[in-house]
Amino acid sequence: MIAENTQTQMRKGILEYCVLSIIARGEIYASDIIAELRSAKLLVVEGTLYPLLTRLKNNGLLSYNWVESTSGPPRKYYTITEDGKGILSQLDQTWQELAYAVGISQKGANS
Amino acid sequence: MEKTIIINIGNTIIHIEESAYELLKAYLNEVKQYFANHADDLEIVTDIENRIAELLTEQLEEQKKQVVDTANVNSVIGQMGRVQDFDNAEADTEEEPIINTTYQAQPADKKLYRDMDERVIAGVCAGVAHYLDFEVKWIRLAMVLMVFLGGTGILVYALLWIIMPKAKSRIEKMEMKGEPANLQGFQRNLDEELQMVRERLSEANKHAQPVFSQFGNFIGEFFEWLGRFISGTGKVIFKIIAIFIVIFGVLFLLTLIIGTAAFQGFWDASIYEYFPFSIINEGNRGLIILSAFIVCFIPILALVLFSIRVAFSKQAINKTLSFALLIIWLAGVATVGYQAAKISSEFKQHAELTQTNELKTLPTYIIDIDKSKYFSKEDSIAYHIDANQKNQIVVDDFEDGPFVSPNNIRININKSETGVTRLTQKFESQGKTFQSALQNAQNISYTYISKDASLIFNPRFQLRKGTIWRNQEVWINLEIPVGTKLIIKQDSYRYVNNYGTWDCEDKENDSNDYSTWIMTDDGLKCIAQLKEEAVKKQKLEEELYDLKTLQKKKNVDSVYQDSVSNRIKEVKDELGINTEENNND
Repeated sequence: MIAENTQTQMRKGILEYCVLSIIARGEIYASDIIAELRSAKLLVVEGTLYPLLTRLKNNGLLSYNWVESTSGPPRKYYTITEDGKGILSQLDQTWQELAYAVGISQKGANS
Repeated sequence: MEKTIIINIGNTIIHIEESAYELLKAYLNEVKQYFANHADDLEIVTDIENRIAELLTEQLEEQKKQVVDTANVNSVIGQMGRVQDFDNAEADTEEEPIINTTYQAQPADKKLYRDMDERVIAGVCAGVAHYLDFEVKWIRLAMVLMVFLGGTGILVYALLWIIMPKAKSRIEKMEMKGEPANLQGFQRNLDEELQMVRERLSEANKHAQPVFSQFGNFIGEFFEWLGRFISGTGKVIFKIIAIFIVIFGVLFLLTLIIGTAAFQGFWDASIYEYFPFSIINEGNRGLIILSAFIVCFIPILALVLFSIRVAFSKQAINKTLSFALLIIWLAGVATVGYQAAKISSEFKQHAELTQTNELKTLPTYIIDIDKSKYFSKEDSIAYHIDANQKNQIVVDDFEDGPFVSPNNIRININKSETGVTRLTQKFESQGKTFQSALQNAQNISYTYISKDASLIFNPRFQLRKGTIWRNQEVWINLEIPVGTKLIIKQDSYRYVNNYGTWDCEDKENDSNDYSTWIMTDDGLKCIAQLKEEAVKKQKLEEELYDLKTLQKKKNVDSVYQDSVSNRIKEVKDELGINTEENNND
């Protein structure tokens, strides 16, 4: 139970960072984000993604365009903004620090 | 087979089976509820809806189907994730606690619906029971008790029936039972329903239906039947009534035609000598009969035609013809009205004719009525009655009825001032002018027989041939001197006008068919009554004498004295003795 809770906590923190990273690679459709996250085994249900995307967009980290679809109505394609890029570089740095912290914690400072 | 619903989700038109639709709706409600307190709820939900639409369209294309079923919806829900899964991923925001309260507060949100699954009549009790969390049987018991409380229960039930909506959809049923209208609740509900269906199927051949639901079925069917009866059989009843009206109406019309023809045929027949036909003037008879016929015939014809229309849903007559009938009827009414006015004008003037005969002065007269019918000479020939044949008597039956002419005589008995016995016959009549009124009065034919002491009167008078009825009357005025006795036969009681002859009964001899009277200064007196009064007077005088002797004894008891003197006063009053006069004695 405790393990599960910690796992969830860790995943939650990383999810936002991963989503931003995926979008930073180029314009992308929400479903494709899901597919990537799923293959990364980070997220299993789509419903979670939408509130996250909306929040990031409202914070000015993302923007979206309506793109015509061959089947059905137009789709929302997300891109990263300049602010988003800034935040992402900060997060990249934090991640490096965290990875380092984790590495140190696991192997010891001397190795 | 399943009912299909067309929905518009994320700007895409999708055909969806009803059960799948309910499942999807429940899921979306759950999602909406979850994001309700989120700042961007609309946008998130729209995104999710769009995605769902996309997924469903993809699935339909893949599976080459037209209609979305529950399997499709379930797989989409699996992909989108349940609300609980959202929690795990999105628990870091500050909105979470609010979301949770909303979510948890939901089950308490009950709504008042009528439970059609557990109904007896309309599911009101079951609905109330769900709402109040009571057992249904207590609510029903309370309702039945209220019915005995002056019928309040019926009123309350009817009101609730009107106010409470039926729980039709699954969502509404869940709201009624206070189950959260989310996916788990929905699925539980669905499972329960399936379970119930299975149970019912297995119990169907055991006839193990509960009494309540059986009774409910009965009532439902009863009302259904009642509704069908009113709209279906009710019409049939109207048609049957209409057919009866048609049959009797046609019979009546035929009778009317035959009757009128008979009237016209017996033009000179004696029917016109009888009341009320004797009112009509000879010259106008044909016209009056024709218009009277029209006035009666056309409304009945209209009724019959209307009934034909009701019974056979067919127009029996066109508008022009019915309009023409209306015109003819109005003409008939006008004619009848005109003739009635004309005839009534012939009652304007009054004339009377008297004929006085002096009679031999005798101490006693007998007044009797001749029951044998009066016949004119023509009648006697018509009926083959030989006037010389004395043992042949035709007796009038004295029947009163609508066709009996009001030709009765009336007898007045008065005191003769001159001491001469006189019998006066007064003939009265109405007419347009005094002349014609007098003429009508003269056309009264009346006879009485004065034989020894007997005065035998004919009960009716006749009008001479060709005379029309203009309220002719015959008054007989018998004047007899004071002291003359009269024996009035019972048959003649009803003709005596100015005395209540029925009251005079000889109590000692009440089998008599006559009463005896005597003329006094105060008018005619019943001898039997006089006798009775004399006896009474004698008794009172005896009592008075006794009382007076008592008074003379001078009893000391003042109360006794008072009662004696009071009684003396009463007796004196009854005897008509003046008290002052008594004091002089």
